[in-house]
Amino acid sequence: MTAFFAKRAGYLLLTMVVVSFAIFTIMEFTPGQVARKVLGPFATQLQVDMLTEEMGLNRPVVVRYLEWAGNVLQGDLGRSTLYKQPVANVLWDRLGNTAILAAIAFAIIVPASIILGVAAGMREASLLDRTISIGGIVTTSIPEFASGVFLVSIFVIWLGWLPGTSTLNTGGGWPLASQLVLPVAVMVLYDLGYVVRMVRASMVEVMTRPYIRTAILKGLSFRDVILKHALRNAMIAPFTVILLQINYLVTGVVVVEAVFAYPGFGRLILEAGLSQDVAVIEAATLVAVFITVMAQIIGDFGYMLLNPRIRFS
Amino acid sequence: MSEDLKKIHSYLPKLVDQLQEGRVDRREFLRTSTLLGLSATAAYGFAGITQKGLVAPARAQSNATVRISMRVGTLENPATYSWVYDSNVARQVCDYLTRTDSENITHPILLENWEASDDLKTWTLNLKQGVKWSNGDEFVADHAIWNLKRWADPAVGSSVLGLIKGYLMNDEGTELWDPKAIEQVDDYTIRLNCRSAQLAVPEHLFHYPALILHPSENGVFGVGSIGTGAYSMTEYEVGRKVVLKRREGYWGKPAAIETIEFIDNGDDAATEVAALSSGQVHGLYEGSTQQYAALQKMEHVQIHQVGTAQTGVARMQPQHKPWGDARVRKAMRLALDTEKLLQVAHLGLGLPGEHHHVCEVHPEYADVGFMKQDIEGAKALLAEAGHPDGFDTEIFCKGDPEWEPIAVQAMAQMWQQIGVRVKISVLPSTQYWEIWNKPTAPFAFTTWTHRPLGVMALGLAYRTGVPWNESFYSNPEFDALLTKAEGILDVDERRKVMVELENVMLEDGPACIPLWRAWFTAMDKRLKGYEAHPTSYFFCENWSFEEA
Repeated sequence: MTAFFAKRAGYLLLTMVVVSFAIFTIMEFTPGQVARKVLGPFATQLQVDMLTEEMGLNRPVVVRYLEWAGNVLQGDLGRSTLYKQPVANVLWDRLGNTAILAAIAFAIIVPASIILGVAAGMREASLLDRTISIGGIVTTSIPEFASGVFLVSIFVIWLGWLPGTSTLNTGGGWPLASQLVLPVAVMVLYDLGYVVRMVRASMVEVMTRPYIRTAILKGLSFRDVILKHALRNAMIAPFTVILLQINYLVTGVVVVEAVFAYPGFGRLILEAGLSQDVAVIEAATLVAVFITVMAQIIGDFGYMLLNPRIRFS
Repeated sequence: MSEDLKKIHSYLPKLVDQLQEGRVDRREFLRTSTLLGLSATAAYGFAGITQKGLVAPARAQSNATVRISMRVGTLENPATYSWVYDSNVARQVCDYLTRTDSENITHPILLENWEASDDLKTWTLNLKQGVKWSNGDEFVADHAIWNLKRWADPAVGSSVLGLIKGYLMNDEGTELWDPKAIEQVDDYTIRLNCRSAQLAVPEHLFHYPALILHPSENGVFGVGSIGTGAYSMTEYEVGRKVVLKRREGYWGKPAAIETIEFIDNGDDAATEVAALSSGQVHGLYEGSTQQYAALQKMEHVQIHQVGTAQTGVARMQPQHKPWGDARVRKAMRLALDTEKLLQVAHLGLGLPGEHHHVCEVHPEYADVGFMKQDIEGAKALLAEAGHPDGFDTEIFCKGDPEWEPIAVQAMAQMWQQIGVRVKISVLPSTQYWEIWNKPTAPFAFTTWTHRPLGVMALGLAYRTGVPWNESFYSNPEFDALLTKAEGILDVDERRKVMVELENVMLEDGPACIPLWRAWFTAMDKRLKGYEAHPTSYFFCENWSFEEA
């Protein structure tokens, strides 16, 4: 088990190094100068050159990368050119906001997808199965920006039940909880269908296994067959898929946060990208890579615990 | 009476005569007479109309919070602001020396008044006495001079420099043309000794980055900054929000609303509409054509609209082929039907563009005849210039606001009719502003904000060598005419020069102008005292809020 975790930790570190260097290199070839963005479009070239030198941006990319990496190892994520403060001050706050959204969405997606997936998969090709499957495909196929506008049209503009944006300001009389409803709804709608279909596929497969047939033939009730024999086995394959949704829910919600003006991690990455704020982009990328790889490691670990046929190696 | 007027400026009696003879309209009389130092009260009296004034009628103070949806960018250096919305925050904390109202009438704010010499080369600025900064200091000439010199310092990079370069700076624009160009007369008097005549000095002092900052803060603006304005900034987070609180001890009439919040809802048009619909904000910084239909249907908001000289310019850089040939540039103009462009790109809100960059709202606008679409004429010019089959080219533009790429797309289709095949490269705003005034963008579409005078826009955009001359247009005849126009007070006389200037632009100029935008926004009906300003400025101390 130690070797397993050591190997995975090595992969994690290697991935972080490769991705962070790739980002540095890509930013090098992105059109526009960082200093120009800091100073604005009307700054003279002399000013831009002076700031470029002051920020050390005229040095080779490898030198700057090594300096940045050294600082990161000492806990210094750098200073944001956009937010004019240490990256850490902005990053953890925004990540915390997104984590709230992600946690709520995850708490809905997991039980809902299991219930719907199992319900659909236990009687393949039934009306219920077709309804759930088609519903899942439809919600997953609709882009987040479209479902966001659709929900806003109904619940904000037409019915007036919910606030239109989620800026986490309580002005306007909308409590914070109400501001989370629509972004969470969009995330759930988008993600639920996919997970439901994975659970369903696993359930369908399990229901064809000989031990299920045996259980039915020996006279167990259908309820007991599902709960005692099918369910646990059907959950092994989707377990990893479900855990990987954490990656999407935390690092992939750029569109949702933009549509609802939610001050989260995704919007931070978007704004930093548009402003070529290298320090924020790098830090956010490291966090995103860390979350992705950690979700993968936990997924692998859990999968092995659930499935005794797979051993740590 | 005439002698009294002469004491203020020798041209004023003539101006009054022109008003009485109907040779200048009331608005132009008000604008010019106040520029020459006549008080607004006296000017309105001569014009025989009730003074509208800059300050809203007194209203009871309330604990209301008004929230406006607006981008919240980096605010730390007001002198280098690139966007009006940045200044809308700092403007509540700091004041300008002057203020041009929505009717293009300029009033003193931190100034008591000003006096212009007959030749318009010497401007005496008399500061208002008794103005206190929020730290208790009295506002004096030293403070204003520190700001004026800072704007004139090329190392600061303020766009104010582009306005004052022609009359306060040396030829290279690197330093003041004379050590005494900005001269302190006493604690409350400043004299600007210009090297050339300039009639728009008070209006230049209202350029959006020209906010007067306290010298002790060395040009840095932030939470708790010292200001002379009605509000103090108490919270600020880039990309999220700004909170302004009414300031006790403000030297002017206290603001009615206690708290102003600017909420950053991002760039998405639908998000802003949703926020307004659900009452999370009371108004928008600026409405977009995408939002217009939705805003019209909201019963609780009022759409405020104002005609402006805001526009977009498809400018060609003559140092690149084929734009070096004036016939090609004119052919590009002749290919456009600006009435259709206005309908397609801006819902008909505004006026059809005129390619000389002088708008009907400008007082010195001269009607030189509307350049109508003439496809055959354009083709003939192209053939004459050696392009009988047209040519391929590329235009750069921004992706937002949405009317810009739509206008460019519509123009490209019209240019196709004369054989000019235009590839459109839509860039994110941040990338576009990297290249807008660079030789690497020979053909590009740039937005220009409203200027109260036609000569101001021409001077900023087309005079040889100025920083914002994005087309690198250089025409000695144009420059000479422009300098001449800038030194003429008499609008009738200036208009005669404008005829020549506008014709130069139509025949030789580097610009295609699809439309003049009507600027609009939407505000909650309970918000009183808001008035749409053609340059999108907010003056929150004039606002009040009527709770339901």
